[in-house]
Amino acid sequence: MTNAQQYYATLLLVYLGVDIIAALGLNLQFGVTGILNFAFIIFQAAGAYTYAIFTLGPPGPESQYGAGFQTYFWGVSLPFPLPFLAAIAVGAGLSLLVGAVILPRLRGDYQAMAFLVVSLIATGVATNQIGLLNGANGLSLVPKPLKVELGLTLSDYDWFYVGLTAVFCVICWWIVHRITSSPLGRALRTVRENEQAALALGKDVRRLRMLAFAIGGGLAGLSGALLVGFISAWAPGSWVYAETFVYITAVIVGGFGSNLGVIIGVLLVPILFGEATRFLPDVGQAGWIDAGQLIVYGALTLVFLWFRPRGVFPERRVRYARSVTKP
Amino acid sequence: MRAPSRNPEVAKNLSAGALLAVHNLRREFDGVVAVEDVSFAVPEGSIVGLIGPNGAGKSTVIGMIGGAIQPTSGSIRLEGAEISGLPPNKIARRGLIRTFQLSAEFPRLTVMQNLLAAAPDHPGETLLGVALGKRYWGAYESAQVELARGLLDRFKMTDKQDVYAADLSGGQRRLLEVMRALMARPRMLLLDEPTAGVHPSMISELEGQLARLRNDGLTMVMVEHELGIVGRLCETVVVMSRGRVIAEGPMAEVRAQDDVREAYFAG
Repeated sequence: MTNAQQYYATLLLVYLGVDIIAALGLNLQFGVTGILNFAFIIFQAAGAYTYAIFTLGPPGPESQYGAGFQTYFWGVSLPFPLPFLAAIAVGAGLSLLVGAVILPRLRGDYQAMAFLVVSLIATGVATNQIGLLNGANGLSLVPKPLKVELGLTLSDYDWFYVGLTAVFCVICWWIVHRITSSPLGRALRTVRENEQAALALGKDVRRLRMLAFAIGGGLAGLSGALLVGFISAWAPGSWVYAETFVYITAVIVGGFGSNLGVIIGVLLVPILFGEATRFLPDVGQAGWIDAGQLIVYGALTLVFLWFRPRGVFPERRVRYARSVTKP
Repeated sequence: MRAPSRNPEVAKNLSAGALLAVHNLRREFDGVVAVEDVSFAVPEGSIVGLIGPNGAGKSTVIGMIGGAIQPTSGSIRLEGAEISGLPPNKIARRGLIRTFQLSAEFPRLTVMQNLLAAAPDHPGETLLGVALGKRYWGAYESAQVELARGLLDRFKMTDKQDVYAADLSGGQRRLLEVMRALMARPRMLLLDEPTAGVHPSMISELEGQLARLRNDGLTMVMVEHELGIVGRLCETVVVMSRGRVIAEGPMAEVRAQDDVREAYFAG
């Protein structure tokens, strides 16, 4: 493999892991609990920015990385794995904040619209308030975790990062699977299925929603941190509202509510179909390739909602043994 | 036959020892009075039927007792404790479990999951339970599965155990809702038109099951349009018309009352 091919392969694998973690988070919120979070991407962005400012150090001319060309409101340089933990905490904390405002007051379509508006506002603020997170240019030269300590060659480090992503991915899958396969997961599904009936059975629907929302937000934050730790740059262009639809498509195509399904959804949607458009011959004017990705995602969502609304790998039916006392 | 009590002292005495006592309940929607001056008591172990023509305010009363609708004024006491103004989940946790006029099953959960989801205070529904795993909640879950199997057997739905609730017939969904309410270990059931939309062949099955629950001593309040069922199941009926209680007593006596015939039976 040439260096370029190796970089492409590692990049693709890191993206796969990042997207799986994010899609598991969105699936917990949307697929399992029924919260149509159109602002999902801002929680990934929050995690990415948190990782950046927790590794870049203080801003200013004497900054090791900032060197005066990028401005941000605050920074510190913490060792691995603290920036990742901070990203999880900020993702979950921001979810609690946004959730506390939107979840108790709005339902269904109105809730989804409110999330979409929050996503647009967040992009607007981050882009135009330059001193906050360096505006439209975003943050760059973000340090990679353990890069200096390990002293590996460039390509060896990239493969190390693939391993690191895989470890995070497995831990996240295990946590989410443990939740969704437990009675807590069943209670979350009752909220998705019929909120009034869940309330009438004594379920604290508000607490259950906030719980799923915060855990999903924490996973989104971690996915953002892992992404920026590898690509070292993060700007508002990386998290426009349309990016949320990539994950929503992955959840719908893979299987609403099914953890295994969303992994398949990620393999199919951002990885297979998303990457395939890069290899299309140049047709028409520049910009068609990027637009082509979104067209493919949109078409996939429609096709699945019409013909296979439960996805490729639907939520598993839980079967119980028949009574042994009766024949 | 007795007329509804308007004197608070009399009402207080009547409701003494009752499991549920509703007193002077009132609800306005944007200035329009939907329910006014509604008082009745439900003694432990009895079934009270709440009847009346469409728009009489029965569902509003059920909604207020269950906590889904806030009363404008009045009091609702369960075992002597005031519950009006509490959210529905808190009222349910005190043992007052309701069913809905339109079936409210969890469609993409199986029949068994629908039942297990109703188990009260499940240790596996907490983060601690998730962290500690089956060792912490497995025994409770197994006990609930056994309880659910017993109910499925009793309601003749054992073969539907692993079927999605969405794939049940209308009558089976009603039975599921009653079973699910029983899984929540109710002190009292609030049934909102349990036979609505049920195939006639299934109605007698449902009635038989409700009669068995009555014989077991379960207290119930039931809104129902099938007056035959109300007459057979309920010791007392409360007749509502235009937001008020117009009569209260055994079905046979209430039927004979002129204003009831006018408001209800004559349409």
